[in-house]
Amino acid sequence: MTAAQADAEPRRAAPTVVAGDAIVKTFANGSVTALDRASFDIPKGAFVSLVGPSGCGKSTLLRLIAGLIAPSQGAAIVHGREVTGPRPDIAMMFQKATLLEWRTSLENVLLPTELSGTVTKADRARALDLLNLVGLKDFAFAFPAQLSGGMQQRVALARLLQTGADILLLDEPFGALDEFTREHLNLELLRIVGEFGATTIFVTHNINEAIFLSDQVFVMTPRPGKIAKIVDINLPRPRTLAMQLTPEFNALAEDVRATLGAL
Amino acid sequence: MAEHDLPQRSTPRSYWALSVLPHLVLFGALMALWEGLSIINVIDSIMVPRPSEIVSAIWRLYVTERIIYPHFVVTFTEAVTGFAIGATIAVVLAVASSLSDVFQRYVSPYAIVLNVTPGIALTPIIIAWFGYGMGSKIALAAVICFFPIYVNALTGLLQTDEDREDLFRSLGGTKVQVFFKLRVPSSLPMVFAGMKIGLTTALIGAVVAEFAQATEGVGVLMGRFSFQLQMAASIATLLSMTAIGLLLFYAMEFLDNRIVFWGRENRMARVSRARAKAWQRIMHK
Repeated sequence: MTAAQADAEPRRAAPTVVAGDAIVKTFANGSVTALDRASFDIPKGAFVSLVGPSGCGKSTLLRLIAGLIAPSQGAAIVHGREVTGPRPDIAMMFQKATLLEWRTSLENVLLPTELSGTVTKADRARALDLLNLVGLKDFAFAFPAQLSGGMQQRVALARLLQTGADILLLDEPFGALDEFTREHLNLELLRIVGEFGATTIFVTHNINEAIFLSDQVFVMTPRPGKIAKIVDINLPRPRTLAMQLTPEFNALAEDVRATLGAL
Repeated sequence: MAEHDLPQRSTPRSYWALSVLPHLVLFGALMALWEGLSIINVIDSIMVPRPSEIVSAIWRLYVTERIIYPHFVVTFTEAVTGFAIGATIAVVLAVASSLSDVFQRYVSPYAIVLNVTPGIALTPIIIAWFGYGMGSKIALAAVICFFPIYVNALTGLLQTDEDREDLFRSLGGTKVQVFFKLRVPSSLPMVFAGMKIGLTTALIGAVVAEFAQATEGVGVLMGRFSFQLQMAASIATLLSMTAIGLLLFYAMEFLDNRIVFWGRENRMARVSRARAKAWQRIMHK
């Protein structure tokens, strides 16, 4: 039984790995508040979605946790230490696959290893295993231009896992893909992060997707961007597409929608 | 194997029939028209020689008298050497400009001034400085091929993809790694675009300097023939410049194709196979 398949209850008791301590982020010399006093605790192995309209600060929050930008006030705390810059236990995936066109799938997956030191035979074997895990073993030596959008994101997912990070930040990773591919990749994502027991923070503007994937949904509202409500999703795991048709699911979607509507 | 032979052979044949043949037919018709108009004296065949005369002039220059080769080699060498010097300086300055805003701020006015000044107009000065020999031709070629290469290389190096930079940063990539593993490869298509323009302008520089003052080179030969009203030989010499230009352009095109293989369907398939082989070697060592 993998971490994702365990009950929601014991995970609540799991230690906090990512926390927000009244994070404020302003831009343009303080005239624009992108994120207003975001506080939260995310337990180990949890899947959290940040959902909200454009400008609600969800990508900003993700980039703050990743250490790509610094907060104006407050702090993001990961494994008990304040985030001051990019760190090896956090890895990020973007809406664009951000693959390097001159590298094969394998070479793209090996990029994180290459940037942090020498690439060993074991690293190479692991990269190939990860490509196998995302279903791209036959495309290991293909270049990005030879892959579909969905396949490119699979390579990006394998690269994300190659980092060995236990905190995965995903910024609308499948947002540019068609509905069918996205649903399929979401299911794969749940299987894979479950297998790895990773803590995952997922940004989306799709309410159903957020509920379907998550243990907790942070509902965010704009002007100023803030976490308006944290909705616990107590649907059993593993999740199935059919769950989206149940009354429980609809009640949760209603709750999120009401929060977003009450601007 | 045998069943694959037929489609493979028929493809070049249809390629020949569909895309090469019409060009040859059109070209032949234009030449015949020109020849005909000369024969009935609509075109003055002293000033504008007939195609048949140009062909026989080419035959004399290249086959029977063989006088063009030393000139060809001189001009070719001048253009290539000038290009090599100009391109090296351009790439070095573009890299420095891309790495330092301050450097770029102080260099770009000079680059712009150099660009808006007609490079060709420097010819008398450059000849005064470098003499009648190959030196002045190389110098002019270097000066006028500099700008297109500098601008293209700089544009290529400065085009940044926010997400990929974030990716490198989130993976703890250093500035050096970002430069060599991200910026340089992404700039290569632009660098090659600049190189192709630069190579052609380098040839212009070499030939113009030859026209001005020189003892050797196809420019000299062409000037001499025109002065003697040997128009057919003059045009035959002009065509040798075309040949040098094509040679240089396709050499660069070949390199471009080799190095910037991504986005080129057939090249990607080849490189992909080569990488797979290299991988097998590493893994089973």
